[in-house]
Amino acid sequence: MAEMTKKNSGTVSKGKLTIAFIGNPNCGKTTLFNAYTGANLKVANWPGVTVEKVEGSMRFQGYDIKLVDLPGTYSLTSYTMEESVSRDFILSDDVDVVIDVVDASSLERNLYLTLQLLELGKPVVVALNMMDIVQKRGMEIDLHRLPEMLGAPVIPVSARKRRGLEVLIHAAVHHNEQRHPDPLIHEHRESEFESRHKHDHHSEFAMVYSDDIEDRIDLIKDRLKEKYPEIPNHRWASLKYLEGDSDIKSKYPIEISDISSESLEDKIINEKFDFIEEIVDECLVGKEQKAAVTDRVDRYLTDKYLGIPIFLLIMAVVFFLTFTVGDFLSGYVELFVELLNSSVSSLLLSLGAGSAVISLVCDGIISGVGGIITFLPNIFMLFLALALLEDSGYMSRVAFIMDGIMGRLGLSGRAFIPMLLGFGCTVPALMASRALEDKRDRMRIMLITPFMSCSARLPIYILFSELFFGKYAMIAAYSMYVIGIAVAIGTAFVLHHISKTKLENALLIELPEYKLPGARTVFIYVWEKVKDFLQKAGTTIFVASVFMWFILNFGPSGYSSDMGQSFGAAIGRYIVPLFVPIGLGFWQIIVALIAGISAKEVVVSSCAVLFGVSNINSAEGMSSMLSQLSAIGFGPLNALCLMVFSLLYVPCVATIITIKKESKSTAHATKCVLFQLLTAWVMTFIVYNLGRMLI
Amino acid sequence: MKLNKGIPGNSYQVMKIDLPVRLMRRLEVLGMTGGTSVRVMNTKSRGTMIIKIRGTRFALGKGITENVEVKEAKD
Repeated sequence: MAEMTKKNSGTVSKGKLTIAFIGNPNCGKTTLFNAYTGANLKVANWPGVTVEKVEGSMRFQGYDIKLVDLPGTYSLTSYTMEESVSRDFILSDDVDVVIDVVDASSLERNLYLTLQLLELGKPVVVALNMMDIVQKRGMEIDLHRLPEMLGAPVIPVSARKRRGLEVLIHAAVHHNEQRHPDPLIHEHRESEFESRHKHDHHSEFAMVYSDDIEDRIDLIKDRLKEKYPEIPNHRWASLKYLEGDSDIKSKYPIEISDISSESLEDKIINEKFDFIEEIVDECLVGKEQKAAVTDRVDRYLTDKYLGIPIFLLIMAVVFFLTFTVGDFLSGYVELFVELLNSSVSSLLLSLGAGSAVISLVCDGIISGVGGIITFLPNIFMLFLALALLEDSGYMSRVAFIMDGIMGRLGLSGRAFIPMLLGFGCTVPALMASRALEDKRDRMRIMLITPFMSCSARLPIYILFSELFFGKYAMIAAYSMYVIGIAVAIGTAFVLHHISKTKLENALLIELPEYKLPGARTVFIYVWEKVKDFLQKAGTTIFVASVFMWFILNFGPSGYSSDMGQSFGAAIGRYIVPLFVPIGLGFWQIIVALIAGISAKEVVVSSCAVLFGVSNINSAEGMSSMLSQLSAIGFGPLNALCLMVFSLLYVPCVATIITIKKESKSTAHATKCVLFQLLTAWVMTFIVYNLGRMLI
Repeated sequence: MKLNKGIPGNSYQVMKIDLPVRLMRRLEVLGMTGGTSVRVMNTKSRGTMIIKIRGTRFALGKGITENVEVKEAKD
C-alpha cells in the first residue's frame, strides 16, 4: 500500500471522497482498513472487536480519500444503538461511497445487509472477502452473475493477504462517478397475487418485492413525495414505513392506515431472504465437501462436560507462561537496567553532579521507571497468549461455555468476554462491553470488570509473592486472579438477587470458524500493548517516580535524605489509622498505594523509590527490599494484604475516566470508585484477620 | 416441539418464534426466518445451544431456544 500512496502523491487533488466500510461483525473490515491506511487497529476473531467509528485517510488517483471503519452490524434497523449510528452515518451526506465487506464464506447471511445497503440508494461496492476459505471448501462463486443480480460491482479481495486492494478502491472511486448501474433483469418465482398494475422494477432495483408489497410501496411513495419532496430516497422511506420504523415515522409523519395497518417487517425480511436464496442458488457453485474442522474442534471445546475444564486449563497455561517464561526473560532486562544505573551514576559523578541530582536520576527515575521495565517480558507473554486466544476464534466459545454460570448472575455468557479481556487491560475491556445490548448489563459489567486482575497489577504480585512466599510464589500470584474472579462474580450475584427486575438475558453470538492466528494480527496486537506499556513507563510512571522522589526527599525543612521527615511520610502517617485494621498500617505502603491510582505499576515503582532499591526485580534488589520491609515489621501476611488490596482498589485513572465516558454518568463512575475502595478494604480486612487467627 | 429439546446432529425447521419483537427481528435478520432449516450442533444442560443457520454458527441462550417452535426436518 505504501507504494500505491507514493505513486499517487504529489499530484493536484481531484477532490475529496469519503468511503465507509460496513459489513457483518468479524468479516474483515478492520483488516482491510488497516491495509489501506497503515493503521494498527486491533483485529481479532470474534464479533464485536470494533466498537467505535474510526477514520483514516489515503490518496488514490488524485483523490483525497477519507476512509471510515464502522462497527460490524448484521442489519440496518434502528433496534440497537450501534446499528442506528451506522445507518445514520451512511445516510448522511458525508458518505460518498459505501464499501460493503462481505464474508464470502457466509454469503447467505452477509447478503442481507448488502440488500439493505443497496436499498439506501448510495453507491455500493461489494468487497468479497475470504474467497480463499470458500475455495478451500471446494466451492466457487460466480463472479459474473453475482454483480448482475446485485446491480453493484463485486470485487474479490483478500484483506489478510492484501490482494485486490487496488482494484477495490479503484472501483469505489469510479462507482462514485457512475450512479446508475446497468439494468438488472431477473424474474422472481411465480406468485398467485394479482397486482393492481404491472411492476417493472427489475430494471431499477436489485431487490424487488412481491406485487402485494410493491403496490403498497408505490402508494406510500406517492404520499411521501407529495408531502416531503426533500426525502432523498422515497422508495426506501416507504419501505421503512411498511416495516413500522419509528425513526422515519416520527421524522416524516403521514397517514397510512388505509394502505397497511400492521408492520410488514416480517414479510419484508422473508422476501429478502427468498431473494438471497435465489442469488445463492445461482451464484454459489459446488456443495460444501468436507465437514469443517471447526465442527470437530467444537465437539470437544464446547462439550457439555469438558468445556469448562478445558477453559480453566487454557487459562492456567496462559498464566503459567506469563510467570515462568516471562520471569526467565526478565533476567536479561534486569542486567540492562543494572548496567544503566551504574554507568549513569558514575557518569554523573564524573561530571561533578550534586548528591541530590544523582539521587533524583538514579533513585527516582531509574529505580522507578527501570524497575517497571523489568516486568515487560511478563506482560508481553500475557498479551501474546491473549492475542492467540482472541485470534483463534475461541473467544465466542467462551461466551457459550460460561453462559450457564453467567445466567445464574442474571447476565448472558456474552458478558464474560469483557471480563476475560480484563485480564489484559481494563480500559479496552470496558469498551468491549458496548456489544451488550442491555444497558443494565453494561452498568454491571462496568462495575465488576475492574476486579478482573489486569496486567498492570502483575508486577505487584510477582514482586511481593517472590519476596515473601518463596516456592509458593506462583500459587500466591494465581490466587489473586481467583480472588478477583470470585469478587467479580460475587458482586454480580448479589446485584442480581437484590434487583427487582428478573430478566433472563438471552445469549446470541456468532461463533466464527477457528483459524490459525495470523502472525501479523498477533504481532500488531502485542506490539500495540508493548508500546502502550513503554509509553506508560515513559510518561505516567516517569512523572509518578519523579513526584514520589520529591515528596519523599523534601520535607518542611527542605531537602533531606531522611524520608521519615518528608511530606510523603506526613501524608502517609495521617492516613495510617485507616489502614491498621487491614494490616497495611505503614506510611510507606500507603504512599505507594495512593500513587498507584495513577497506574497500578506505580505501586511497585514507588516502592523502588521509597526503599531506594535500584533494581527491584533482581535478586539483589529483592534482598535489599526484604530486609528494609522486615525492619519496619512488614511480613508475609502484610504482603498478602497488600496484594489483595492492590487487586481490588481503584484500578487507575484511565479506568475511572473510561467508566465515566462509557456510562455517560459521573455519578456511576463515583459509585464504582467508592464501591471498589470499600470492597478492597473489607476483603483485605477479612484476609488479615483470618491470617492472624491462623498464624 | 421447542428448539431447546433439539438433539445435536439433527436438523429442524423453524415454525414460529415467540419472543419480544426486538429480539425476534434480530434473529430474523440473521436468517432465522419461518421455514429456515436449523441444525443443532451442540447443547448444554440449561438449553443453551450451538446451532447452524444458513451456514453460520450461533450460540443461543435458553431464553431464545425455549421460545422457538420447530418441527423435525426430514433430511
